This record gives sequence, C-alpha cells and structure tokens, in this order.
Amino acid sequence: MPGIVVRAQFSELQSVFFPCQHSASFSVPAMRAALLIQRWYRQYVARLEMRRRCTWNIFQSMEYAGEQNQIKLYKFFSYLMDHFTPASSERNLIAHIFRENEVCRDAEWERYFNYKNIEVPEFYSGPHLNFPLTATNATELVEAFRTKQQLHSRYVLQLLVETWKLLRILPNINHVSTCHSKEITICGDLHGHLEDLLLVFYKNGLPSMETPYVFNGDFVDRGKNSMEILLILFAFLLVYPNDVHLNRGNHEDHIVNLRYGFTKEVLGKYRVHGKKILKLLQKIYSWLPLASVIDQKVLILHGGISDTTDLDIIAKVDRHRYVSTLRPPKQRKSSAKNKQSDQDSWDEDNMTRRRVRSMTYSSPGVSRPEVQRHSLQTLSSQVEEELRERRRRAGFSLSHGDLHNSLSSDSDSDPGENLETDAEDWKQVVDMLWSDPMPIDGCVPNEVRGGGCYWGPDITREVLEKHNLQLLIRSHECKQEGYEFCHNRKVLTIFSASNYYEVGSNRGAYIRLGPDLVPHLIQYQASRSTRDLTLRQSVGRTERSALRALREQLFAHKSDLISAFQEFDPEQTGLISLNHWATAMESVLQLGLPWRMLRSQLVNHTQDGKLNYQSWFKELAIMEPNTQLAHTNLLETLYKHHSNLETIFRIIDTDNSGLISFEEFRQTWRLLSSHLQIDISDEAISDLAQSIDFNKDGSIDINEFMEAFRLVDRTQQERSNSTLSGVHPHLLQSEHPTKTLLVSASPHFV
Amino acid sequence: MAPKKKEEPKPAAAPKPPEPEPPKEPEFDPKEVQIEFTAEQIEDFKDSFQLFDRTPTNEMKITYAQCGDLIRALGQNPTNAEVMHVLGKPKAEDMNSKMLDFDTFLPMYQHICKAKDRGTFEDFVEGLRVFDKEGNGTVMGAELRHVLATLGEKMKEVEVEQLMTGQEDANGCINYEAFVKHIMAG
Repeated sequence: MPGIVVRAQFSELQSVFFPCQHSASFSVPAMRAALLIQRWYRQYVARLEMRRRCTWNIFQSMEYAGEQNQIKLYKFFSYLMDHFTPASSERNLIAHIFRENEVCRDAEWERYFNYKNIEVPEFYSGPHLNFPLTATNATELVEAFRTKQQLHSRYVLQLLVETWKLLRILPNINHVSTCHSKEITICGDLHGHLEDLLLVFYKNGLPSMETPYVFNGDFVDRGKNSMEILLILFAFLLVYPNDVHLNRGNHEDHIVNLRYGFTKEVLGKYRVHGKKILKLLQKIYSWLPLASVIDQKVLILHGGISDTTDLDIIAKVDRHRYVSTLRPPKQRKSSAKNKQSDQDSWDEDNMTRRRVRSMTYSSPGVSRPEVQRHSLQTLSSQVEEELRERRRRAGFSLSHGDLHNSLSSDSDSDPGENLETDAEDWKQVVDMLWSDPMPIDGCVPNEVRGGGCYWGPDITREVLEKHNLQLLIRSHECKQEGYEFCHNRKVLTIFSASNYYEVGSNRGAYIRLGPDLVPHLIQYQASRSTRDLTLRQSVGRTERSALRALREQLFAHKSDLISAFQEFDPEQTGLISLNHWATAMESVLQLGLPWRMLRSQLVNHTQDGKLNYQSWFKELAIMEPNTQLAHTNLLETLYKHHSNLETIFRIIDTDNSGLISFEEFRQTWRLLSSHLQIDISDEAISDLAQSIDFNKDGSIDINEFMEAFRLVDRTQQERSNSTLSGVHPHLLQSEHPTKTLLVSASPHFV
Repeated sequence: MAPKKKEEPKPAAAPKPPEPEPPKEPEFDPKEVQIEFTAEQIEDFKDSFQLFDRTPTNEMKITYAQCGDLIRALGQNPTNAEVMHVLGKPKAEDMNSKMLDFDTFLPMYQHICKAKDRGTFEDFVEGLRVFDKEGNGTVMGAELRHVLATLGEKMKEVEVEQLMTGQEDANGCINYEAFVKHIMAG
C-alpha cells in the first residue's frame, strides 16, 4: 500500500538544529523548558495509554472468556447426546438444543413461514411495506426506526422470506467492482447499535446505486436494536441487490444469539411470532455469503484466515449446511444400521450425532446399543477427562491430518471421503468467521475465543499471493480508533460499533474504497457527550465500568479465591503478601490480567505490605446476598454461571412464555452441574426453586430469576435510586434496600 | 494505531553545519548496566510489559516502537533521544517490526531510571515561568502551543490540542501551576 509522505519544511528543520537562529526571541531556558514540558506530556499520555490498555484488557478478556465458556457448554451437550442417555425427562432438554432445521423441502418451509394470515390491525402506526420493496420503503423504514417505531411482525416475516429467497441464489463469495467510478463503503461490526448505523448513513449516505456498501458481519447481539439493523440491511439488500453486500459474522448464529442477547430481544419485541422469526433467521444466517472480493484484489471477510484458507474451496462449499458454525454440519449420507438402534427421541438428529460420534469415538465398530449408558446422576470426573480428550480431537484445534486419521478409524462410517471434505469445508468456514491476526509468524489455534486461529504476517502474505490479492479487510475485534492496520498494512480491521464496551470506550469507523483501492477511513462516535471529555476523563469512565465488571467476577468466585488465598496462608493469619494475592487471583480467574497493575485499583488497605483478604472482600462494596436464601455458596455458583443458565432456559422455554416449571429448572440445574462438576443436592435445588417462585404459582419467570442474580455496588446504590427502578417489585424488601436480593448495574456484555 | 514518529526528520539539501548537539554519548551497552531493582519491582514491571505484549501465545515481546511508551508508563520521562539511545539507535523501519523481550528491556529501563535529575514540580513550573511575560502566574496559550510545536522534540498539533484541552481560560491564558499539577497527576 503506497504511503503518502509529507516533506518537512526546511524552516522547521532549521528550528530543530538551530533553535537560536530561527527563533531569536527564545533563549536556552526556553528550549529547556519546552523539552521538559514535552517530556512530561509524553509521560502523561503513556500513563493514560497504559490505563486504557488495562481497561481494554479487562473487557476483552471477559468477553472472550464468555465466548469460550459458551463453546465449552455447547460441546459438552454435544458429547452428552452421543454418549449418555440421561433420564428420560432430561433427554428432551438436550434434544431441543440440537433441534436444528428439520430436513424439509423449501415449499414446506414457505408454508410454515406464511405471513399472509397475519393481520395488521387498524391502530398500527408503524411503517407499512409493499413488496417488491422500493427505495422509498427502505428509506421510510430507516426513518421509522430512527423515531423508535417497531415494524409489525407480518412485515417482518414477509421481509425475511423475501430476503431468504434472494440470499439463496447468491454465491458464497460476492464479487464487487468499482467500475463506473464508484466508491464502495465498508462497515464492520454493528452489534445492534442502531445509532451508529444511522450516523454512518447520515455522514455517508443511504445505500444506493451510487453508494454501494459491504457490511462485514456481526449485525446482531449486545446492542438493543439488532432486529432493526437486520431489517434495514435486508431491506436495502432487496432494493439494491447489486450494490449492497452482506458477509456473515460469527454472531449470525442462533446458538451465539441465545447467549448474547439477540434471541431475548426478538422474543421481547415479538411475543407472538418471535419464535418463527428466529427460526427463519436461522435459515437466513446460513444463507448469508461468506466473503466479498472487490475488483479481485481486496478480500473482505468477518474474522480472518488461516494457513489452510483457500478461496477456491470456499467458493464451492454448501454454505447453508452450517446453520451454526460452532457445530459441524449434518453428514450427507447415513448408514442404515445406526438408525435402528435408538429411534425414539433422537431421530432427527441421528445423522448429526453419528457424525460427531465418529470424530470422538476411538474404538470402531461399536454400535449404539452397546454404548454404556450412564444416567446423569452418576457422571464423575472421568467424564471431564474423556471430554477433554474428545475436545482436543474433535475441536477447532484439530489439524487436518488428525481429523482425517480419527475419522478413518471408525469402520461404521462411509468411506472417509465425504467426511473429509466436510471437515475441511467446516474448518474453512470457521476460520473465516472466528480467526484473529497476531504479530508473529505462524498459525495457532485461537484458544482464547475457542474457535478459528491466530494467523501471522507470513500467512497473510501467502494467502494474498495465492489469490493475487493486495489487501485483507476484516472485523471481529473492537479497536479503540474504530480501525487498525497490521501485517505491514496488508490487513485492515474495521469496527463500526462505537462505545462498544462502555460509553466513550472507542470510536467506530468505516472505509471508503475507490478504484485506486486505497482505503480511506472515517471515524465517528455516537454519543455527543463523550466527544467533549478530555482524554483522562474518557479513560477514567471506561475504567470505572471495567472495574465494576471485574468486581462482579470477584464476587462470583469468592469461595475459590478465599481457598486460593488460604493456601498461601497455612498459619491462618488472615494475611497474604501482595505477590501471592496476584498469583492467586490469576490462578482462579484465569483472565490473563495484569493483577499487579490493577492492585492499586482493587486493594485499598495493606498492613506492612500484606493484605487481609477477608476484610478485603467486604471492602469491595459488593452486597451480601439476601440471607433468606440459605445456601449462599449456591448463590455464588449460580451467579458465576448465570449466562449459561440463561442460555439453557431460553432453549427450554419452547413456547416463549418466559416461564419454566420447577421440573425444568431442576433438570437444567442437574445438567449444568454435571458439566461443571459441582455437587449440589437435589434438596438445595428444590429449595432454591421454591424461594424464587415469587408469586408461588409453581413456575419461575426467567427474567425475574435472572434479575435476581446480578450484583450492585453498595456505594452506587446509595447514590442513585434509578438502579432500583429496574428491580422486580417482588424482589424489594420495603425499608432496607441492603437486604434486597442482588440488583444490577452490570454491563450488558456479561 | 498509526506508528508514532520518534526520529527527527533528516535534513534536506542543507549544507552540513557544525553540530550544535551535546558531545556524542558512547553507544549503549546493556551489559554494563547494573540492575538495582528488587525482585518485587521486577515482577511489577513484567505485568506492565505484558500489557504491551500483543502476541497471543504470550511470548513476552514488545516492538521497539512501544519501548518509549512503556518506559514512560512506568513513571520515567525520558526524551525521545534518550529512548533511541538505549534502543541502540534503530532504523525507522525497524521500529514497528523488531521486537525485544523483557530481559533486553530491563537494562534499558534501569539505565533511564539512573539518569540524572528528571525534573521536579518546581523545575517544571520554572520552565513555564520563562514564558510568563507579565509575571502573573499565567502564560498565553497561543505562545505555549507555538513553543511546544516548534522547539525541542516537537509535538504534533493534535498532541498539543490534547494537552491543552480545557486549560485555557476565556482570555486564552493558562495558570501554569494548575497546568503542571494537571500533567503530573496523570
């Protein structure tokens, strides 16, 4: 990429080397003074940068730990399905998770998604859509969303069906050209931040034939207008199919949506038809193109590449088979023998399960009836060990060679070839959507996220050369300035959701690319108030938010932390050195954070360089849980895993009532506790279930339940009563707010 | 982020004048540096070092360009020239690609820490007083900007802007004691 060099003025140069000559009025003291100020300024900036980096680190490591967490959970269920037959009541639960698109013809799908019966009532004041959509419709839609209206579910379904029909005929790789002297605009992750999309449209213009766009994935999750963003993007796609291009991101995945908020958003906004909408979106996701190429020279995809990336293979995969990229696709052929063994509730998923089994089973020739059956109750630590081994072999870190070997050892399977191509194809797709760049050469599995790779500058060189490309544009990682170059400016990360972690945490940006293929970057920040903050104020604000989130994690791991501290305190003095504190923190939380640096923010009092850890916990100003709930360590555990719990609840709440029965609650908990290897008695679970049934009607409201297990800063609560307004009335105990069940101010990414 | 330019631009077609710079320092030799930090302090530095380490496999390496930032973040305030000196005067193109590990960094940092007087609050205030034409505790913002952008190790306009945000009063004056406190509190 050619750089643009500005030549320094000769007069300026003179002032450096001959200061006295150039500025006769400035003496040597002035010179010295200037140097002193400059040195101090640079130190000031560097210290702020350090704090900013630290804060960033906190947010990012928690974000990725959450992703990894979810992938582990998903894999665990996968494994369970293959090898264990839980008691029949739990069986349905697990089957649900994998109840993906049943094998159906498209015509049947169209009947299922029939929107024609849905009537739009007279009093509906939102936008009306006419199909085929016109530019006016699309513009009106944008305007409607800007004024916070909601599109009626009939139009939503209609729009989605039309989108699906269009996407089906698109290739895996969009080929875009800048001929006709067009400049193309490329946007990165939006994550439901409608205000950012509107800002981009305001600055750059709505999509049209003169203003083509590429949207590089992650349109949904986290922000609260994911639905509106999708609807806008799809509307413009329908109106300008040659000028609007969408790439799939790792969040265009229904499993990920369960955890990161999109599912919740849809079900909340569309109580009657939400489920259908989600189902249709599952299909749409799988039909989204995987990449775009501009002028055959610039490659745009969401995550990145790996040492095996091959665009020719990618162009030919059946992309719609990857409903969720977290899971290998259903196998093409199935063997008859496997089907007969377990017909009752597993039928739909037979093919998939067989596929997964073939990757995890080392001893060939074992047919299903002989598989040893364990009930969930008797799972022991050997499960985890086995699972670790399976994961290692079945997971993303699998190299192509290993995969081939483990596959071919299963004699039940069809000839290895189909499985081999399947595995290869899957890896191509996963790598494209999940990988991150790294500064050193090579290609290693991306263990931080749990999917894809880390790839180095040498891989960039190779892949670009192989396909005669000159630039790779990707997204997937939040960047403070909204963009970042790396790999010798051959890779450009673009991120379009400003204020992603916290208000003021980062800018968003988009790219304009003309026929010269030199990227021009435009930055913005959605919230006006943050632009006027000084650098230190902005850093400080984000920092406080990160520390709050971190303190919540500390609470969630309190027992483990105390045990770890006690190991360093064999004489039970109640004190440990700060060094040991840091070591213990990392060993329990495993977030890879610079604890020694954070120490000054987290620890207020030390005695002779030692910390009294019990009183330290009290100082963190985290509320003690309501003493009505007797099992306080259970509470802590539940808090720690509440994201997983929520995910599972949403899966089992099949009628989207928001309610689950005690029995379902118990089943969920048993499943989760075997995954986590926690030993909690049935009695404790039952007690807990009953105590959170606030209206005593025999069922638990999911939202209420989740609300109950979030934390607040004691000091914050005293300051602002607005926190309490988010509390369910049942959770409030009249005069003493400190006795309430935990009420939240937690950031939304948890 | 765009790499920060740390080196002075080389002179264009000017005739070579006698060097007005201080006498040439000997090349930096890390082996001659005696490490005087405690083990505890070294652990602390490692934490900070790690924060700048962008290798996913945690190789504990940072680029040459980050060295100066790290030294400053740890509490020192060397000039750019001093940073380049301990780095062994690397070429501009190496700044973003060459990497160093913690053991290479430590002697560099120790050397900077040992350097003479770093400048106290008073020194700083004295320095600014030079520009206090009326002796009333204030300097003209415009003059300060000009000085910072044209003298010494020049700052870029955007850096000056960042520094001065919110410091000037309605008349464009800066109370420099307050200003210094602001900088040093960072």
